[in-house]
Amino acid sequence: MKKTSLLFLLLAAITSVTSAQSPFVTKYMSYNTAYLLPEKKWESGIRQPLRIGLSQKAEIYSTVLALPFTPNAGVKLAWGELGSFRVATTHSLSVPSPVLNILSRKGIGGFISPEYSFPFILSINNSVIASRPVCDSALMTFKADFMFAIRGSDIDPQSTIDLPVIFPRMAHYYKGSSVRLSANIKTPVIKKLGVEEGLQLFIITRQDNNFFAENTGYLYWKMSKKMLLKAGYNLSYGMYPFGNHWQLWPSLDLLFGSRR
Amino acid sequence: MRFVSLRNIPRLLAGISILVIMSSCEPLATGFDDTEDATIYQASTLRQAPQPDSAIKVMTWNIRFAIGRSPWFGDACGDNTVFTKEEVMPHLDSIVDAINMIRPDILMLQECDIASQRTAYINDLQYILDNTYFNYAAYVPEWKAQFIASDGLGRMDMGQVILSRWPITDSKRINLAVRGDQSGLVNYFYLHSCIISGKIKIPGFEEFSVLNIHASAFATDDTKKKHYEEFKSMLDRINAEGGYFLAGGDLNELPPGSDSTDFCFEDMCPGESFHQPGDDPQHKDGSNYTPEITWLQPLYDAYKCAVPLDRYQQNQEAYFTHTTRPGHFWDRTLDYLFTNHRWVKDSDVTHQYLLRYSDHAPVTARLVLKKEN
Repeated sequence: MKKTSLLFLLLAAITSVTSAQSPFVTKYMSYNTAYLLPEKKWESGIRQPLRIGLSQKAEIYSTVLALPFTPNAGVKLAWGELGSFRVATTHSLSVPSPVLNILSRKGIGGFISPEYSFPFILSINNSVIASRPVCDSALMTFKADFMFAIRGSDIDPQSTIDLPVIFPRMAHYYKGSSVRLSANIKTPVIKKLGVEEGLQLFIITRQDNNFFAENTGYLYWKMSKKMLLKAGYNLSYGMYPFGNHWQLWPSLDLLFGSRR
Repeated sequence: MRFVSLRNIPRLLAGISILVIMSSCEPLATGFDDTEDATIYQASTLRQAPQPDSAIKVMTWNIRFAIGRSPWFGDACGDNTVFTKEEVMPHLDSIVDAINMIRPDILMLQECDIASQRTAYINDLQYILDNTYFNYAAYVPEWKAQFIASDGLGRMDMGQVILSRWPITDSKRINLAVRGDQSGLVNYFYLHSCIISGKIKIPGFEEFSVLNIHASAFATDDTKKKHYEEFKSMLDRINAEGGYFLAGGDLNELPPGSDSTDFCFEDMCPGESFHQPGDDPQHKDGSNYTPEITWLQPLYDAYKCAVPLDRYQQNQEAYFTHTTRPGHFWDRTLDYLFTNHRWVKDSDVTHQYLLRYSDHAPVTARLVLKKEN
């Protein structure tokens, strides 16, 4: 807890230095910032959602590969400048019941015991994002998410997938709401290479298993004007049903989209 | 003068985080070295150990992770994988009651969950320690994985235990041969059979070794035979060095000379078919002991079983310790106690009345101790 707080404060402290942000960041690394994709431009990843710029004020997004199993869609709205911060909000809906029922199966692929079946779950996520340029060319972003779910009926608390990264993101399906506070800083390193470092805190409004933190770091390699390789790590800590746990996992994604 | 450029801070943070934390992360499934140290547990309250005259009562019991005869998917034609705390605790309390009633001085457990999603992450071992008269325990994992994405098993930490009133020293996990009839991926997440060993010194008596084995249950190749050979070779080594031992556990094998050696029909689940033309496999995994029936003979030849082979062969049913079928009486013997020293004559008891506590019956006997010179 102390470690994550220190990292968070450190990230916050360096926002005191401001200057102009890099086009590399706003063009190619705008996911999870207050910047929207320009009108008629699009970007997607294998894991990262498909985003389509509708106008200077709105962008829509959906995780396409998950669509058949987890219907989901969202919109990101730009709200202009507030002091030195650019501000946006996101609003999304998803229905994870189908994928949970698929994963509840016998044999290999049975992430959840087949004795459980899941009712209709509607997950609702609203967030506020504020970004500002820092240092010479970096972009600092703060984000606050509020997630809650409407459930057709109670869900058995033992039907969770007790894995880092997954468990905290599913927590609000089961019990309580989830508040996610995050900060990230993105900066170019060289012409075709950018770096992102971030921290996320998950607070679940319930008695047990209610705090998680993730420190993420990614390198973005611009392979062409349409394609980037995103690779890095996710270091997580959390309070799980089996106890407190640290985990370091690699992360890899291929981003592609329209020429920018 | 700036010692660290602000632009370098993200990379610096990433580097520091990785270096500091990497050592505390665990892999998806745990691999095992040939020999590893066991984990020593201690009861919340230590009790004065008794001073035996000449012998102690010892017991082996496969407790089936404290789910009693519940229909678990893996071994009882059941549909359930996961059990709640409310479902597990009554069974765990029954096990504790049985231990307190039988009162062995040394207890060897198999299939003891300490942090598994299937049993609500209850630590069976610590609960047994804190609610019986035992002071110490040594634990080694047999099946340990951060996550098993099959049948909803999830996180798993199940293993073997030696419980003792007296301190346990030099306790080790000895890895047994890996199943040769599984793919690498399945084997990576599957249980890895092992022996837990330790040494116990009772004041006034010579130190002796304790070895608790849980051999493969479902291997269809010669893996089990390798397990018995590895087990016997450890016993041979102790014997050759002049030591004496208590050895036992769930060998998942019938004694030589058993009348019934094929349990495919007894263990058959609805929808399964065996022994019929075109059936593939012809036999249910782990239920056909016919080709293996002599595999324990070398152990019987070399050492003393608490239930002597001739006595077993004369009245086999009295010594049955296992059945896969909830609601049925025991139908085969899989659990054993051996020593290279002596048993108190006719002191063995196969606790067949404990039919609802597990799919194995505990076996006890009184081991004669060697007086210290």
